[in-house]
Amino acid sequence: MKRTLTIPMGSQHIALLEPLHFRFTCENEKIVGVDADVGYVHRGIELACASKFKFRQVSFVVGRVCGLCSISHTTAYSQAAERLLGLDISKKAKYLRILVIELDRLHSHLLCLAHTAENTGFEALFMQIMRDREASMELLELVTGNRVQFDYSCVGGVTRDITTDIEKELTRKLAKLKTDLEELYEVFRTNWSLSLRYKGVGALNAQQIKELNAVGPLARAAGVAIDVRSDTEDLLPWKEVGYKMMVEQTGDVYARNIVRFREMFNSFEIIENVLRGMPQGDLVTETKANPQGEAVSRLEAPRGELFYYIKGNNTPVLERVKIKAPTFSNVAAFIEIFKGQEYASVPPILASLDPCLSCTAR
Amino acid sequence: MGLNKFRAKSPWILHYNAGSCNGCDIEILACLSPKYDVERFGMINTGNPKQSDILLITGPVTERCRERLVDLYSQMPEPKVVVACGSCASTGGVFRDMYGTECGVDNYIPVDVSVPGCACRPEQIMQGVVAALGILAQKNKDIEKPVRLAGKVTEQDGQTNRRELAGTLEATNAKN
Repeated sequence: MKRTLTIPMGSQHIALLEPLHFRFTCENEKIVGVDADVGYVHRGIELACASKFKFRQVSFVVGRVCGLCSISHTTAYSQAAERLLGLDISKKAKYLRILVIELDRLHSHLLCLAHTAENTGFEALFMQIMRDREASMELLELVTGNRVQFDYSCVGGVTRDITTDIEKELTRKLAKLKTDLEELYEVFRTNWSLSLRYKGVGALNAQQIKELNAVGPLARAAGVAIDVRSDTEDLLPWKEVGYKMMVEQTGDVYARNIVRFREMFNSFEIIENVLRGMPQGDLVTETKANPQGEAVSRLEAPRGELFYYIKGNNTPVLERVKIKAPTFSNVAAFIEIFKGQEYASVPPILASLDPCLSCTAR
Repeated sequence: MGLNKFRAKSPWILHYNAGSCNGCDIEILACLSPKYDVERFGMINTGNPKQSDILLITGPVTERCRERLVDLYSQMPEPKVVVACGSCASTGGVFRDMYGTECGVDNYIPVDVSVPGCACRPEQIMQGVVAALGILAQKNKDIEKPVRLAGKVTEQDGQTNRRELAGTLEATNAKN
């Protein structure tokens, strides 16, 4: 006998870090309809950036759009502003930006994996990943001076330099973190209980991904090779520091976890290359000009493509700032993924999608 | 007397994100991790307001979140303490006077401890929560009302019903 139920989830729920509301229509255990409400965190940052703050301050304000990928937001904005001003920043500043973006990717991916493990019911694995993740947080604090909101990029460059002591500490701690991660990678690949909850669950194929415009690890797990780092070279030299595209084929929760792990191993290589090839140069390139005209900039945040559009009118205050965050592109795909799944699989799927609502709603 | 003493030995936490940037939220998660291990104070992160003693709030209360926040607060049984985590939960921070936000949690519900910092560090959150435990031990079962609400607590079938408190938010705002 079929019975149709409507189950609300959110805006406050133990499986959610952020206010997000889903309304699942279920036939017995199976989900047939999903309704999502993602606007709980709308603060009005875009308008404030174009009225209340001067353009040099905006790079620190947009960092507060999202605590998980704040370096991606500050860097993407700074790049757009530098294009407007016609600034050519030094190669050293570019390398330092890559260093912090990759460290941030490490901590963000580890948080997502920990959250996936917790929502699956594997509390011990959650604790183990969170313990290992502290190494990346300590390194971020060492390099940038703060654990979460770093304000590292500014218009024209970066705010802090690294010393040889910090370099040594980075190399030492990353080597330790890498061996820890290899152990975790083994667990995620071979643990039989986890495979029951992850393999074949929450899958989308490449065709659907393309139709729904999904980005980031979600798309790469389904075999769609899409990554801003592979197709832009003008803003940050990704190929030079050893970026590799990581693609899996199955598109389920398991594949998304594996993509995240492989990206993290790639991040280790990138950081190593950045430290080895660190060029000399100025931290900040100064200018007195005001922004004039329009510019866009794209950057690969941990969750996918981050897009900034800014427009200036030769005054210190910008005319328009538009932010398109990766999760915003993925919401349509979220809804498709949940259809046809068991209700009990919702928490692990949701965690593996790694939603960032404060980016989405701004 | 005895109950109050032991209540502070195992407080349960309810965490609500009222429009924050996730920065303070991941630091609260980091508090649960083995390095900081807030569970040694007997705390468990729970998702149920009816079982919680401490309400941890992050973010500068957005317009969409405020009814949910007051509803959650009203559902928690007394005694309860409220910890506002981060600059924006305390005063509005960088989001102050943006059109979608209200300047801080204390416009809506009484705050016992404010934790500064953007984002507040796990050590600071732990200090705030431990300070909240001291306040929790002092409090009694008197009903605490949200600041901006005029509704009254009713009794139904021998049970205290606080839900009407949250329902009257719009009416109060219209009157002001």
